[in-house]
Amino acid sequence: MDLSIFGLASIYVEWLLWGFGVTLLLSAATCVAATLGGLVICAARISPLRVFSIPARIYLAIFRNTPLLVQIFFWYFAGSAIFPTPLLDWFNNPHTVTIAPAGTTWLSFKLPSFEFWAGFVSLTFYTTAFIAEEFRSGLRAVDAGQREGGLSLGLSPALVFILIIVPQATRHAFAPLLGQYMNAIKNSSLTMAIGVAELSYASRQVETETFQTFEAFGIATILYIFAVAVVEAIGELVQRRRDRKYGRGAVT
Amino acid sequence: MNFDVVWNNLPYLLWGAWPQGPLGGAALTIVLSLFSGIASAVIGLVLGVWLFMARGIVHTVLLLFLSFFRSIPVLMLIFWTYFLLPVALGFSVPELATVVCALAFIGGAYLAHGVAAGLRSVGGGQWEAGISLGLGRWRVLRLIILPQSLRRMAPSFVNQWVALIKDTSLAYVIGVPELSFVATQVNNRAMVYPAEIFLFVAAVYFVICGALDLVAGAVAGKEREHTRGDKAAKTAS
Repeated sequence: MDLSIFGLASIYVEWLLWGFGVTLLLSAATCVAATLGGLVICAARISPLRVFSIPARIYLAIFRNTPLLVQIFFWYFAGSAIFPTPLLDWFNNPHTVTIAPAGTTWLSFKLPSFEFWAGFVSLTFYTTAFIAEEFRSGLRAVDAGQREGGLSLGLSPALVFILIIVPQATRHAFAPLLGQYMNAIKNSSLTMAIGVAELSYASRQVETETFQTFEAFGIATILYIFAVAVVEAIGELVQRRRDRKYGRGAVT
Repeated sequence: MNFDVVWNNLPYLLWGAWPQGPLGGAALTIVLSLFSGIASAVIGLVLGVWLFMARGIVHTVLLLFLSFFRSIPVLMLIFWTYFLLPVALGFSVPELATVVCALAFIGGAYLAHGVAAGLRSVGGGQWEAGISLGLGRWRVLRLIILPQSLRRMAPSFVNQWVALIKDTSLAYVIGVPELSFVATQVNNRAMVYPAEIFLFVAAVYFVICGALDLVAGAVAGKEREHTRGDKAAKTAS
């Protein structure tokens, strides 16, 4: 298949698309893991028990106030000092996962390299901290009267939190959450520093190989804008459905 | 944990080869942050005011321009400025300038929306009062709206500056010897104790970002006292 575009040979476009695939995979995995992590950290942060809230505060302060690049270097270079050797050996060797029910190979794929895992771990820890804070500000955005109303209806504080506060907070936190997903896509570019072959890395490689700077960076830029625009469009769609359901001006 | 590798390379990590060579390390990180912070504030204010005042097609074009900078990775923009700025200007541009340029535009694009939101948050009555006093739109903006909204914008400026300090680490990709770059140099030379090196580097960034946060908090506290004083004075009269 001939993929050449803007005068860039087909093979290099393939490199870029492959890089884009890695970017998407890395950021999607990060978003899922960081959303779960964000829920946990947010719960710990708002907990009345100090055993939970103080470690959560420390986590948030550290991971939000240090550069992602330094965190990536830390997990990549210092990972070997922190993690046990068998685990590292496992990550450093290539693995192929084969799903073969009843003898026939159904699905077979290679597990990503150590660089990818290091990038995933650092992106997840970093994004978790930001998503946790978005959740927390979503909770704070719910009017205090809602809680009082629920309590005066005779609901227990736990039920008020689950039935009244959380559904509204989810709506408040939705747009900022998508914003963090877009940041995750953009931040995944930093993993090129440890050699993850994602889109920025690929564009740099194509540039070195062909000297077609403008084309290489141009295509990569367009792909990034495309990915971010898709997330934005999803947000817009959800927003519109919600407007139809609850009417404009309802809590969004 | 053995922090000897950090102590042995401390001057290099803090100010690079200076004074024998060029400034580097944490000192260069601070210099980069200062320049790009100031430039992003200027760009953010100008574009934000423009976004707020512009109507129709200009407004749309401006929105598209801003969303371009907000939707590409900082790294990508650094590549662009690094490779294309010299071509566009026709003479070689130092790496430092290209990084400052990229960071200033990214920061400015984010700030512009904060500035526009801050301007919108000032009640319509203020505008009507200004106009009915016979002032033009721009004079109302400059004399009445901007002074009030600057206080409300302050938190978004501080957040953006913290993000900028962290983003200066990306200068690493084009070989600017700021803190992250010299840290990888030291790490590559020593080949041992990477955890200690990067923990120390993270701590330095943490202190710089934390210091900015503290200063901003102190200023905001004073500001609150000040407004409270205003209110007290008003109720007294």
